[in-house]
Amino acid sequence: MSLDISFIGILIGSIMASSVPLILAASGELITERSGVLNLGVEGMMIIGAISGFALMVITDNLFIAIVGSMLSGVIISLIFGFLTQSLLTNHVATGLALTIFGIGLSAMLGKNFVGIPGKEFPILFSSLKESIPFFGPILFGHSIVLYFAFALPFLTNYFLKKTKLGLVVRAVGDSPVSASNQGINVILVRYCCILYGGAMCGLAGAYLSLIYTPQWIENMTAGRGWIALALVVFATWSPIKVLIGALIFGGITILQLHMQAIGFRIPVQFLSALPYLMTIIVLVVISRDSRKIKLNTPTSLGRIFYKEK
Amino acid sequence: MATDLRISNISKIYPGCIANDNVSLQFKSGKIYALLGENGAGKSTLVKILSGVISPDNGEVFLNEKNLKLSSPLDAKKNKIGMVFQHFNLFETLSVFENLSIDATEDNKSLRLRINEILKKYNFSIDLDVPVLNLSAGQKQKVEIIRCLLRSPKVLIMDEPTSVLTEQETEELFISLKKFCDEGILIIYITHKLKEVLSLCDEVAVMRKGKVVSVSQTQNERVETLANKMVGQKLAKIKKKINISKNKDEIFKVKHLNFYSDDPFETNLVNLNFSVKKGECLGIAGISGNGQNELFQILSGEIITPDTSIIFRNKEIAKLNPKQRREYLMAFSPEDRISQAAVPELKIYENVALNNFKSSNFFEKGLVNEKKIKEHSKKILSDFSVNTDNVELKSQFLSGGNLQKLILGRELITAPELLICYNPTWGLDVGAINYIHETLIKINDQEKSTILISTDTEELLKLSDRIAVIYKGKLSKIMPSVEVTPEKLGVLMGGGSID
Repeated sequence: MSLDISFIGILIGSIMASSVPLILAASGELITERSGVLNLGVEGMMIIGAISGFALMVITDNLFIAIVGSMLSGVIISLIFGFLTQSLLTNHVATGLALTIFGIGLSAMLGKNFVGIPGKEFPILFSSLKESIPFFGPILFGHSIVLYFAFALPFLTNYFLKKTKLGLVVRAVGDSPVSASNQGINVILVRYCCILYGGAMCGLAGAYLSLIYTPQWIENMTAGRGWIALALVVFATWSPIKVLIGALIFGGITILQLHMQAIGFRIPVQFLSALPYLMTIIVLVVISRDSRKIKLNTPTSLGRIFYKEK
Repeated sequence: MATDLRISNISKIYPGCIANDNVSLQFKSGKIYALLGENGAGKSTLVKILSGVISPDNGEVFLNEKNLKLSSPLDAKKNKIGMVFQHFNLFETLSVFENLSIDATEDNKSLRLRINEILKKYNFSIDLDVPVLNLSAGQKQKVEIIRCLLRSPKVLIMDEPTSVLTEQETEELFISLKKFCDEGILIIYITHKLKEVLSLCDEVAVMRKGKVVSVSQTQNERVETLANKMVGQKLAKIKKKINISKNKDEIFKVKHLNFYSDDPFETNLVNLNFSVKKGECLGIAGISGNGQNELFQILSGEIITPDTSIIFRNKEIAKLNPKQRREYLMAFSPEDRISQAAVPELKIYENVALNNFKSSNFFEKGLVNEKKIKEHSKKILSDFSVNTDNVELKSQFLSGGNLQKLILGRELITAPELLICYNPTWGLDVGAINYIHETLIKINDQEKSTILISTDTEELLKLSDRIAVIYKGKLSKIMPSVEVTPEKLGVLMGGGSID
């Protein structure tokens, strides 16, 4: 067996890279859901982010514009969702599903001319350190800036929700929009902001896929990661840190089972492919057993339409 | 500084109802004002206008002769109008401190200092760092009051504040309100409880159907005069003949009722044992949230608990579901009329059909026998004086009182041997309450039994033959109601002991 220490380091590094889109999208969706809005359009927003990022990179040849543009495209498409659910008071679930279907279709149409174009190399940081330090090198160094941001994000999100005034307002709106409104909080505005932030993070998650992880455009390249991100938020009981754990487990088992398939374990391939989903759910359910904590973290008004009395 | 609040010619019209019709009133600091009226009289609309939650179609509000523009709750706050809503405006999953800090402008440290000062000054004891959902209703109300006090209000509006409090908590509240009043805060106290008006307030304005019908000094009023103004007609007094015969058969017997739940919103029940005799009304008192919900659901069969024995008419029914229990002639009237007892979107006759029995033949070969159900529904509507005879009407358009009459009618038309009801007059006006009480007394007169789970002490004393108190899921000993006073109940409901 070639399972030496440096190989494990490289393996962990690749697991981290594969979990970045999940962390980004789930952290964004977590904020949206904490404000009481259930946006099932994560997959759609991600794929739109992926194609806009890639297209902008090809057109402008500038990665910075591509990244910012992908986030903006996420904001714009989530604005549609926000307008429908917050201003026109449509049902969250139906609108979110429509957003996903719309996003997948639109991205396929926009992406037609970009199929087969090679991507650009995304700059990685500390590449010299990656090579020189065994084991820790490939784990800690040689990643893109987006990865470092993604791994900081759950902690920032946690800090935002628990320690800042704005985070408190978001939680209050998710707990009881009526009370919040009676306290003079502009519920609709807060929810709009949370929706748009979620859109930006989903757009970035998509761009990570098409610009960094597998730098090219393939139709439907998000491949259900948006749905996994949504499930992570719920199974992590709206706790950012548990989202990070869940994303790593999912990413980890996805990579490991690929290696297992390659090595030729005598386990049905279908079972191995199902393993990441299964294990993520089991682990998150086990670490989230405290029903009291769940109650305190769950946004009570999730998915409910808020009418302001006139 | 003296405060003078004047509302002039306020009108608010909703489709199909005039909530406020040209309301003008004047309030001055140093006094406690009562705003009295039945449900739907327009009190809540008026206070929502004062607190900026809704805007009036017409009319103006003046504070110290300054015309206020109250288009959002923020405006009310800025103008130092504080409001404690009947349904608390708190965030259940946030801690007390987070609830208080959400609209504060200062930093957490000095805010905490100020909160502690208020706690000390008014003798409130509340842990600031527990989530609000762990607090009792009385404590939640104190949090609301503190939230208002933090903004040093000129006007404090209390909307039906005692509906969730024990006698003791009510007394404490009154003491605090009088203190606030002495400190120069203008207090407007909204209620439909007449005794509170007389014991607390200096002046009383009575509202009926959106209009102010009288403004007077409370010292010139009595319970009867106020009641008549409020209802607009003379009310008959009801009195029940207490049933104390000891040698009647026990028709219903509960043994070893235990219930354990992980859900922090639910209460555990600990070893409840009680029985009900034929023709008797057993009252179960308690502040809401002490296990009444769970008890009702277990008695009705919505929750099945292991090792509990429930004997009804000499049969063990502990494992039967609600429908099976109904077949044995039990009937249930849950607290929440809209979501538990009836489906608001369904028509009246469809709601009646929900309660089907083998004997009622509402369904034949899997098909709905509409004609039969409608006939049956018509009979309920007329027998229980629901103010419509249109069985096609959607239930959501019935008022609370009429919906409750319909529900009771549906349950009683099968002549059940035992009716279990939970807060049957919750949120109803005096007229409807009277009707429901008469109905419940009639049941006992016909030698049928009732279990009345209620948070309304007065109602329990009026209707029960024996009373027990539930506190934190434990049942006190069962007392003949002639030996029980409101004070005794209050002590037990607050967790005290009377021996």
